[in-house]
Amino acid sequence: MSGLLLQGIVNGLIMGVIYGLIGAGLNIVFGVLRVVNFAHGEFVILGAYFAWFLLQALGIQPFLAMPLTFAVFFGASYLLYFALIPPLNKADDPEISSLLLMFGVSISLGALMLLVFDADARSLAIDIEPVFLTFGDVVVPTVRLLALAVALVIVALLAFFLYRTHTGKALRAIIMNRDAVRIVGIKVEQLSAVAFGLGIGLAGVTGILTALVFPSFSPFVGADYTLIGFVVIVLGGLGHPIGAMLGAMLFAVTEQVASIYFNPSIATICGFVLMVATIFIRPTGLLGRQALR
Amino acid sequence: MLKVEGLKKRFGGVVALKGVDFHLPRKSILGVIGMNGSGKTTMLNCINGIYLPDSGSIRLDGQEIGGLPVHVVARRGIGRTFQVPRVFSHLSLLDNLDVAQGQMGRSASERYEAASYWLRKVELFPLRHNFAEELSGGQQKLLELARIMVAKPKVILLDEPFAGVNPGLAQLLIAIIAELPREHDCSVVLVSHDLTSIYQLSHHVIVLNEGALLCEGDADTVRNDPAVIEAYLGT
Repeated sequence: MSGLLLQGIVNGLIMGVIYGLIGAGLNIVFGVLRVVNFAHGEFVILGAYFAWFLLQALGIQPFLAMPLTFAVFFGASYLLYFALIPPLNKADDPEISSLLLMFGVSISLGALMLLVFDADARSLAIDIEPVFLTFGDVVVPTVRLLALAVALVIVALLAFFLYRTHTGKALRAIIMNRDAVRIVGIKVEQLSAVAFGLGIGLAGVTGILTALVFPSFSPFVGADYTLIGFVVIVLGGLGHPIGAMLGAMLFAVTEQVASIYFNPSIATICGFVLMVATIFIRPTGLLGRQALR
Repeated sequence: MLKVEGLKKRFGGVVALKGVDFHLPRKSILGVIGMNGSGKTTMLNCINGIYLPDSGSIRLDGQEIGGLPVHVVARRGIGRTFQVPRVFSHLSLLDNLDVAQGQMGRSASERYEAASYWLRKVELFPLRHNFAEELSGGQQKLLELARIMVAKPKVILLDEPFAGVNPGLAQLLIAIIAELPREHDCSVVLVSHDLTSIYQLSHHVIVLNEGALLCEGDADTVRNDPAVIEAYLGT
């Protein structure tokens, strides 16, 4: 295997875990609430800005800012849920209304970030020595490896929460059968708020990771992350948080390897061709119904 | 225990329930029979909060529960199964029962103990780590019964528990249902087209016809009532 190809695969795996977290957050919200969160990418960018603010104003390093970011985003969106989502049930078509609502939230958040932080691109620069680590022919920025490690810890915590805790099991049960959850005495509205908080809390934390592995961020790139989130959940299976991880790996490795051999536009096309092919060949996602487990 | 008075429910121009009354004493089984469309499932849906009754009263231990949300009715002690079982297909059997105990303040070991007890009771314990979707339809009905019983309900509403169940599993279901009032202090509303099972299990039977109470009494009374014979058997 050539060094370049190996470099592409390693980059793809690192990006894949981060893309997977974007998809997982989007998937939890969709799976539990049946709401397509068009504003997910904006929440990702808002997470990056929040860490940037903590670094500039309080000197808190981005990796250390993650727990606080998650807590703030979780708490705020838990409350936001009750303002935004329950009124949708009174609409004639709640699903279409939710699409329009979240699209509106997306535009509003983008405009708000533009107002507060201006249009200039920002970056989360942290000093780490050595800047690069070399493994044979593969060179990896140290910060990317750290981001990968943190992302894997988050994935492990998320999996533990969803598969080992009572609340996590109940969230998965809602994805499977919302009515049956009510029958066993669970207040679905409260759990839905937890899912909304969890999804957006994940978006905030993932925003910090993306700001660390990409050179810069601005109020205009939220939609790109939302699009990536949609791609990975289509690949992994809609509504299945962990299935998104596999989809993200495949998408990111395809994109990164293609970018080595072709120009970046073609690399992006390769990623999306993969998504379109999956929709035609395996509409339930790569894992199909297995991903629900 | 459970007292229903003047229960009415209308869907547009169709009157599904025309003022149903019944009383379910503690530790008893009430059989509900009637032809398709007679209002049996609608009545259960009103009791457990899926439908909002148009009028009438539903009291559990003297407390009005009519019109309360489904999860609140469940927490008050009303369990429910469905004609088509609504299990959590991609959770293990143990997790299906674990989720149902979340509101009870039990520790993880207490939840496991209770789940194990009921899985043994319905003879599914050896499959406890399997996913619910791997069970047959009859086994899923047993799992659904175990899932409501693990929460120690006061009253359970069983909607066609024997439909589509093989004779062996049906006998097991009958045996379990029969002992619920005595051993678990649980009253049962049993809706079924299986008259033999209804007559065998029920302390009291009501017959619904076009949303109204046609007849009630013990099994013999209902079995020999001319109106029931005419309406239900068409002879």
